[in-house]
Amino acid sequence: MVMPSSDWVELNFGPQHPSMHGVLRLKAKLDGEIVKEIEPVIGYLHRNAEKICEMTYFNDNLIYFDRMDYVGAMNMEVGYLEAAEKLLDISISERVKWIRVIMAELSRIAAHLVWAGAYGLDLGMLTPFFHCFIEREKILTIFTEVSGSRQEVNYMCVGGVYQDITEKAINEIEDFVREFPKRLKDIFNMLMKNDIFLSRTKGIGILDKETAISYGVTGPMLRASGVEYDVRKAEPYLVYDQVNFDIPVSYKGDNLARVLVRFEEMRQSLKIVEQAVKKIPDGPYFNPKAKKSLMIRMRGEGDVYARTESSKGEFGVYIVGDGGVKPYRVRVRSPTLRNLSVLPELAKDVMIADMIAISGTLDLVFGEIDR
Amino acid sequence: MIEVKEPKKKIPVVGLISGMLTVSKYIFKKPVTVQYPEQKPELPDRFRFRIFLKLDDCVGCTLCEQVCPNHSINMQKVDRENPRNKRKIYPDVNFGTCTVCRNCQEICPTEAIYLDKEFETARTRNSFTYSPEELALKENEVIK
Amino acid sequence: MNILLRLQELFSPLGHLASYILAYIFESLFLVIFVTISLIVMIYVFRKYMARVQQRIGPNRVGKFGLLQLIADALKLVGKENILPKNRDDLPYKLAPAMVFVSLVLAFTILPYGDFFYLGSFTVTHSEVTIILLFGIIAIMPIGEVLAGISSANKYALLGALRAVAKDVSFEIPMMLSVLAIVMMASARTPSSLSLESIISSEFLPYGILEPIGLFVFFISMVARASYTPFDLGESDSELVSGHSTEYSGMRFGMFYMGMFGSIFLGSLIVSILYLGGPSGPLESSLGFIWLIIKAAILVLISFTVWLSMPRIRIDKFINFGWKYLIPIAMINLILAGIITLGWGL
Repeated sequence: MVMPSSDWVELNFGPQHPSMHGVLRLKAKLDGEIVKEIEPVIGYLHRNAEKICEMTYFNDNLIYFDRMDYVGAMNMEVGYLEAAEKLLDISISERVKWIRVIMAELSRIAAHLVWAGAYGLDLGMLTPFFHCFIEREKILTIFTEVSGSRQEVNYMCVGGVYQDITEKAINEIEDFVREFPKRLKDIFNMLMKNDIFLSRTKGIGILDKETAISYGVTGPMLRASGVEYDVRKAEPYLVYDQVNFDIPVSYKGDNLARVLVRFEEMRQSLKIVEQAVKKIPDGPYFNPKAKKSLMIRMRGEGDVYARTESSKGEFGVYIVGDGGVKPYRVRVRSPTLRNLSVLPELAKDVMIADMIAISGTLDLVFGEIDR
Repeated sequence: MIEVKEPKKKIPVVGLISGMLTVSKYIFKKPVTVQYPEQKPELPDRFRFRIFLKLDDCVGCTLCEQVCPNHSINMQKVDRENPRNKRKIYPDVNFGTCTVCRNCQEICPTEAIYLDKEFETARTRNSFTYSPEELALKENEVIK
Repeated sequence: MNILLRLQELFSPLGHLASYILAYIFESLFLVIFVTISLIVMIYVFRKYMARVQQRIGPNRVGKFGLLQLIADALKLVGKENILPKNRDDLPYKLAPAMVFVSLVLAFTILPYGDFFYLGSFTVTHSEVTIILLFGIIAIMPIGEVLAGISSANKYALLGALRAVAKDVSFEIPMMLSVLAIVMMASARTPSSLSLESIISSEFLPYGILEPIGLFVFFISMVARASYTPFDLGESDSELVSGHSTEYSGMRFGMFYMGMFGSIFLGSLIVSILYLGGPSGPLESSLGFIWLIIKAAILVLISFTVWLSMPRIRIDKFINFGWKYLIPIAMINLILAGIITLGWGL
């Protein structure tokens, strides 16, 4: 029996709902258990970050970028600095580039670990979450070791990094690189050996190549749909052209493909970190042109767009400077917003449980969507 | 470019049991949690939280006020003899909005304002703003 | 000699009828205390087990090793305000949690517990048809969940109730079919094959060894009945907030919570009685109760591991599984049991 659309039940998932990561609200129209239509409503975490960035100095803006993708803050800093340093015409040393690569990749692992744990919770698995967070805590300890804060690190600054990476931190990173694969394998086995998990992910929420491209989906989601695109390979920034790594691709485009791509990305990031720790050269960690009291006197003119690969996808920053000490306009291309916009397409005529499983694979972080 | 492979098909129940074994093997591992109030966590050397101020070193240059992204720092008049600080202005800090970005420490020309490891600032209070004199004191000496 | 008769002897100066009534009342009280204590122990063990699997410490603040944590939690729940939804259907709303909890305790009164040293058995119900009674009472519990879901006037709760109905229908038939196989096998050896006690006493091998398929089907049905993670469709927390218990607070919520843990324990007891020989063990018969508890405890730990390591199954997959796999398997089991019974009869 087909119910007329007027008999559909309208149900709000979120903003306070156990499985809506952050504050997503989904207006769903249900026909019994089947989701007929779905409309994401965003804006509950809007903090006006882009406008605030026009009121602070170039260097101070970093703390607002930390709070965009708060689970992988280093990636956001790299993204902003790629643009800001181009605009301010400040070069960075080789050592700084390598430090930034290490931090960005560790941050990517940390972000993917949060996602993996939360995805287990979405499907009702309690245990992988804690194992993911135990490993994430080790990364956050490394961040504290180099920067002084756990999550909103504010480690990098225009022209370098605030504090040089220490020998102790490098040892900790090496320990992490050595010990992490064991736990990663266990987490992977907890999920992948489970037939129920496979039945919840395989063949569900298939995103085909054309739809993905037309919606501007990037990152692991796009790669899971069979597009071999990664900014780190397509347009290498920092020193990504000097490290050896592969980008994982799947041609299935379903939930399972996205899960597998993210797990493989963690392994590849680990590979990058392993190489970078060995290759890191000596040199200054700070460009003297941008040091100390000059922090509030850097002026930039013109406009710059820079894109980087954050853990969620292509993260673009567009900065316009009018020659003043503060940017005239800052605009962020948030990858998660584009990834979210494809959800109504994916979650059409699926069960409620599948809708949750699909929205889990989008890896939503609301600091970045609402900004 | 590598293509990720889907896990191989197995006999149904075997996978479930091996997943259960993977989970239950951790029962023999040591817990990683720290029992906080009794057992202090080992903080890395660079861990920083509270802002301190050396009143004698502060020259009242207002750089920290300018660089603070959240405007948590405001300059206050303090009646205090300091030949280096002619204007007699010192920063206060509102910890309600401070994000511990450490920009004030970075920019301070005389290293008068700095952050330290102390992080247990919880207590009954009327205001989150620490006056310059309070910033100079250790956390357990500050009385609100 | 069981506890009931001992109590009756104690009260015998009061006359025949009065002494039996008093003996039943005291024994029921004893049973309620037993159920409560075992629930407290079980929730404590679950929390500690979950914590250790996740490399945490678990409750350790209230009392030594956190032993009093659950009592503190229960006191907190009792002390909480009962928030009632405005559009509720009043009577079913208030009846539902009581229904879940009372039927749980009732089900415990029917099981045969075996002897405990000189005290004897504290089985309350002595009847020829305990199996029918037991599964009759077990069938009441899901009704409480459905009532809760429908009466609390909440869309999540309603969806939870609908799922609970669909789930119950699809697992109860295979469950009863596999019980039928046991009754059939017992009927070859004992005239009162509907009594749990005579089913146990007439077996020469635990039924779980004779019909492992039945054990498998029945265990899965018990997991589904207790509704924890692979099959917690009624209250799947990441989809329907908390399903049928969304609108409940305070002790009413506590009853649902204890109902779930009680169901795990009850399910383990039933599985060990029906399939693993129950109170019978290798040593002398006065240890029957201990054997039963050990068997149940192992099953409880297995249930906890299942709970902690599995994601939630989708509702349509579960119904498919129930109707397309469990029922045919249970039928095959029934046929096999028939063949075994024939051989046994010879």
